[in-house]
Amino acid sequence: MDLYAAIRGRRSVRRFASASIEPAVLERIIDAATWAPSGGNAQTWRFVIVTEQARIAKLKTVSPGLIGEPGAVVAVCQDLAAARAKGSALGEVLLAPCDAAMAAQNLLLAAYAEGLGTCTVASFTHRAVARLLKLPETVEPILLVSVGVPDETPKAPARKTEGIVHWEVYGG
Amino acid sequence: MDSTALEAKVFDLIGYMTSSARNLIDETPAYGPFRLVDAASQLVAILEEAGVQSPRLTALRQEIDKGKYSVTVGPDEFKAFLDALVDTFVDYLDPGEPCCGP
Repeated sequence: MDLYAAIRGRRSVRRFASASIEPAVLERIIDAATWAPSGGNAQTWRFVIVTEQARIAKLKTVSPGLIGEPGAVVAVCQDLAAARAKGSALGEVLLAPCDAAMAAQNLLLAAYAEGLGTCTVASFTHRAVARLLKLPETVEPILLVSVGVPDETPKAPARKTEGIVHWEVYGG
Repeated sequence: MDSTALEAKVFDLIGYMTSSARNLIDETPAYGPFRLVDAASQLVAILEEAGVQSPRLTALRQEIDKGKYSVTVGPDEFKAFLDALVDTFVDYLDPGEPCCGP
């Protein structure tokens, strides 16, 4: 699939057809996530792939932003102790969340190329998700990504163009 | 409680929630989370009055009612109360038994 077509075609999907996802497909899209850049090549991201519907139901209970019945939920996490060890405060506070977001974006595009829909979720209770997924103390969930066979094709919201891009200096 | 009385109480609760939703756009932000947990407590109270017996719901309501006014003490106190409430909820949601069997 053409990369620009994937970037422009991807949507945030919140309605899924009830179908499971092949583990090999999930492994491929997670592999794509790990090819994202990371500050100082830290690679302190950790991914928890949840496919058991009972566990997904529990995640939904504590994640108001997790909508629909996805075939899988990927918790994009960061080992913040490892991030701090690698990059000090900058590594922990700025680079780790940015790296997680870049990895998540790769995941979204790879999923789209596989014919899957995704939605990135930040509205979840971190301490509850950490307990449900049995995360070690230093591993923090940064984003949840629902993944599934899409049962909708949302329209693309208009993209802002005015005042977004500036050449050489802001306002240029 | 008959269904007419139940409907009336739920109707009142919906009023509380919808008017809170509108009012909170212009009200103290911390009152939003307060109204949420308070509405949860009121919902459980309605269920109890309707004869629904649930130790975990009653425990959650009691914990809410014991700590919800920490919102007037300060943000740190209110956050600590809410964190503890979330922990209690997860204790019931995932009591340590195997989630999903073969």
